[in-house]
Amino acid sequence: MAEQGEPAEQSKTADEPKVSAAELKKRAKADKQARRAAQKEQEKAPAEVPPATNGAHQEHLTQAQGVQQDQKGKATQAKGQQQPKPSKQGGQEVRQERGGPSQPPNIPLRNKAASTAPSKKLPKKDNTVVELLSHLYPVQRRPNLAGVSKDVHPAVLALGLQISTYEICGSSARCVAMLLAFKEAIQAYTTPRDTSLPRHLVSHHLSPQIDYLRSCRPLAESMGNAIRWLKKLIVELDPDKPEHEAKDFVCEEIDRFVHERITVTDQAIAASAQDQIRNDSVVLTYAKSAIVEKTILQAHEQGTRFRVIVVDSRPLFEGKRLATSLMRAGLEAQYVPFSGLAHVVKDATLVLLGAHSMLSNGRLQSRVGTASVALRAHKADVPVIVCCESVKFSGKVALDSIVLNEIAPPEELLLSPIPEKSPNHPAGVATTAVTGKSAAPGKSAAPGKDASEDDEPAKLKTLHDWNSIPNLRLLNPMYDITPAEYIRMVICEYGSVPPSSVPVVHRLANEGM
Amino acid sequence: MPHATHPPSPGLQALIFCGPGLSLNTFTSTPSTLPKCLLPVANRPMLWYPLDWCHRMGIYDITLVTPPDAAPPLEAALRSHPSLTSLSGPRPEVLAPKGLEMTSGTAELLRLGEVQRVIKGDFVVLSCDFVSEVDGSRVLQQWMSLNPALAAASSSRRKGGLAIYYPTYGGEGISSKRDETDFIATAPLSKPNVMPPMGSLRQEVEEVVMVMPTDTLNDTLNENKQALPIRQTLLAKHGNVKIRTKHRDAHVYFLPLWVKDFVARNEKFDSISEDVLGWWAKAGWQHGLAEKLGLDEVLAGKRSTEDEAGNGRSVEEEEEVDATALSSTKSAPAPVRQPPQAFATRVGNSAAPPSRPKLAVPPLLAYMQPVSPAQPLIRRIDTAAQLAFISLHIARLQPSDPSPLAHEHKIHPSASIGQQSRISHEDCLIAESVTIGIRCNIKESVVGANCEIGSNVRLTKCVLMDGVVVGDGVQMVGCIVGKRARVEGTSTAGSKSGVAEVEGAAVKGKGKGKQKATAQSGGEDDNKTKLTECEIAPFFVVEAGTEAKGETMKAFDTEGELGGDGEEDVGDEDDEE
Repeated sequence: MAEQGEPAEQSKTADEPKVSAAELKKRAKADKQARRAAQKEQEKAPAEVPPATNGAHQEHLTQAQGVQQDQKGKATQAKGQQQPKPSKQGGQEVRQERGGPSQPPNIPLRNKAASTAPSKKLPKKDNTVVELLSHLYPVQRRPNLAGVSKDVHPAVLALGLQISTYEICGSSARCVAMLLAFKEAIQAYTTPRDTSLPRHLVSHHLSPQIDYLRSCRPLAESMGNAIRWLKKLIVELDPDKPEHEAKDFVCEEIDRFVHERITVTDQAIAASAQDQIRNDSVVLTYAKSAIVEKTILQAHEQGTRFRVIVVDSRPLFEGKRLATSLMRAGLEAQYVPFSGLAHVVKDATLVLLGAHSMLSNGRLQSRVGTASVALRAHKADVPVIVCCESVKFSGKVALDSIVLNEIAPPEELLLSPIPEKSPNHPAGVATTAVTGKSAAPGKSAAPGKDASEDDEPAKLKTLHDWNSIPNLRLLNPMYDITPAEYIRMVICEYGSVPPSSVPVVHRLANEGM
Repeated sequence: MPHATHPPSPGLQALIFCGPGLSLNTFTSTPSTLPKCLLPVANRPMLWYPLDWCHRMGIYDITLVTPPDAAPPLEAALRSHPSLTSLSGPRPEVLAPKGLEMTSGTAELLRLGEVQRVIKGDFVVLSCDFVSEVDGSRVLQQWMSLNPALAAASSSRRKGGLAIYYPTYGGEGISSKRDETDFIATAPLSKPNVMPPMGSLRQEVEEVVMVMPTDTLNDTLNENKQALPIRQTLLAKHGNVKIRTKHRDAHVYFLPLWVKDFVARNEKFDSISEDVLGWWAKAGWQHGLAEKLGLDEVLAGKRSTEDEAGNGRSVEEEEEVDATALSSTKSAPAPVRQPPQAFATRVGNSAAPPSRPKLAVPPLLAYMQPVSPAQPLIRRIDTAAQLAFISLHIARLQPSDPSPLAHEHKIHPSASIGQQSRISHEDCLIAESVTIGIRCNIKESVVGANCEIGSNVRLTKCVLMDGVVVGDGVQMVGCIVGKRARVEGTSTAGSKSGVAEVEGAAVKGKGKGKQKATAQSGGEDDNKTKLTECEIAPFFVVEAGTEAKGETMKAFDTEGELGGDGEEDVGDEDDEE
């Protein structure tokens, strides 16, 4: 994605009328850092990227794929690629533009005119970005509805908002919600004259919806698979089919897809996974996965006596929701923060994990922190079982969470709402907590500096001022990668498979469609 | 203020209620010529504000609901008024249901067949006197994102509603103690999953649990020896209830489609703000109330009126997959258990009720604007004082301000201003084709289009609507002057003496100002017209030399109707010596 946006950016930087000497210096420094980061990555590059699997997904560039291209193209493009990002001056507008081709062209102007509140924010300086992971930063998350293409259907519009506020969160939930919203959008579609639905619908009607959703939050792997399936379905429609029939057919197929690939699959997986839970088991799980929840609840209904340990972490606190559900159902649940992991893992007899995606090298991409849970469990000889629908299987491979990840807005790590006039907060506590947290799973957070060392001794800076603290970076990654060695078994609707069979299942489920 | 691009349609339609404007009756006594919604507020018809607000949200499907009386002038204005025609997008529909009286309640209005037929999806109800600097899409965004997942489906019956409340205090120069207020009890929503981004209104959105106008509250208090009875169930459901008595309902409601049926079912609902929202809010926690109001059937989708195709189908789908249940930030509800029938032997089978899952009433949310002078403006203009406050507030806005209400020109280029006249640019607003004589001093005032202001006039904190004529040497402070009214100064041109006579007659007959009756045609300097905090009705003529403070100058309805002094030429004929 970085390269795609590059020409636009270069012109933008060139157009900028005045750049002060200090800024130039800063830019040069940032360039150097970026170059170093790029070099570091390049060293890793040969180990991964099997081009064969990648070729299939060209049209669905998620940020992740942009990264893979990154590495291929690094040798030739390194010079051009590194310069724009760290030197962002204009904050939002510039970052919007980085989306380049994926965004409708009218966005930046409108945003500038209409969004009053965010523009008051401090101009984005390079210290909002952790350089090593700078390729992962998405196009600026949409702060409001301004500048959204007017082709976006209301149902999709609402869904985007719900996704970006995490009201709908989780790979399968987002996938289902997206498909249902697309159904509405397709029903509202009318084919213009001189074209046919299979040729027009995807490129002119669905693309704006997909782009909009992507701007709300990067698409999940399951969404990517579902979109690919949907596009193929539509393109292969008979052009002579009457429009309403075609639309009804597509909607029925979507229903069938949701039913087969999610609903029934979940039941099958839960049925098979619940056999792993026996009397007196102690099930440990991390954050919240719909399918793990279902498994546990079903096992409980069957009358199995066991207890559950829910490990949770900031900032989403999904585990709290799981613990609440379990508690309501009458289960014995123990809720532990991430820091208590080492203590509780000794008691566990089984670790059940959900997935964001299963990668083709058998690694698991899941909520950040999962890797540590799996590692601990592995060290303690507790079997780690992953429940994952085949729709989340991916052809991509990654060795670490630097290559494939999603960076959420760092503001989400702040504990309390931004106060109007920041009073004297116990900033030190918050600062260490956050940097410590992000350093562990992301493996790469920049070292946090104590706020009090700053050059403005009069005002105690709090974490809310992180933007203006020179040596502080916040990093809020969404996922991490768990090595295949730690995973005993993956339960999907094709049965219980070892992690090494993921590519096979992926081929069966997602590519043979 | 050009709209750079069209924002995406949120899939809502807007109903703007153009009511009678009872508290503005100085200016709106004849709805057939000048309905309330066309009163100028800072040189734009009042209606412009809600229309523009809707357009900024991307809502272009707008229906104006108005009594049949007021429909013709409204349509004429939509066709011809420069402010209204300059709005982009299709022209709004005017709906004038036959049965609609000026006194009809808002819920009654929603029940009318014509209105029911117009509502096809989720809708937003506004009143024509609503002025807001808060971007509607930011509020709308909260409504959309807080609706239950997948309620995105337009036919869903699980969507909640959202109302807007603003504080009636704390605003510099805008708030007054006499403003009407509402009684609102709210419970906090569950915390957002993550810190909402900058500029999000999420922190201020709460769930309404009780709402009533202050009048009703006072009645309740009087009935109960100054105590407000609150049911235990409220506290059982919501442990943390905040009660506000100084906020006011902005009369903007984002409502889901099912509310249409809800209103249709309950014949006794009179107003939206009091009855519909009041009962809805209560049904959320009071046992059995939802069933009593028929909410269960409304929400189950049993529709009394025509059914839309596909409605039934989508309900089934929702039952099958529910993204909310899959979402990792939501927890599953408690499983429904059949209560053990312990007393079956004693009570008998007949008493065992069919145990149904408890009806989940969709939440009624409210955006409670926090109290702070820095907050953008949200107001309803339903009193003359508010009209003046808002007009002057808008006049203070600079074209460079981010506010959507700011005018492009503080002083319209087509206005002609005499020599040595001083007009304070920062807080005045002068519309097009205004003529101002020499040596005038105009501060903190709004002057409407085609006004003629003589020489040596001093205006402070005045609002002149369109076509007002102000004679020489008039001093006005804090006055609101209706359309085409005439305030005579000391010496008008001799040619207009005939007109001056008319005023004499009019004021003698109808005006309550204590005029110094000496100055029929004289030009003495000591007989200056001085008006302080007066309201002058449209077409009314204030005689030269009048000194008045805090008065309302309007024609009595009993005397000769308004046709008499309504039009100047007619007045000329009527004039008798």
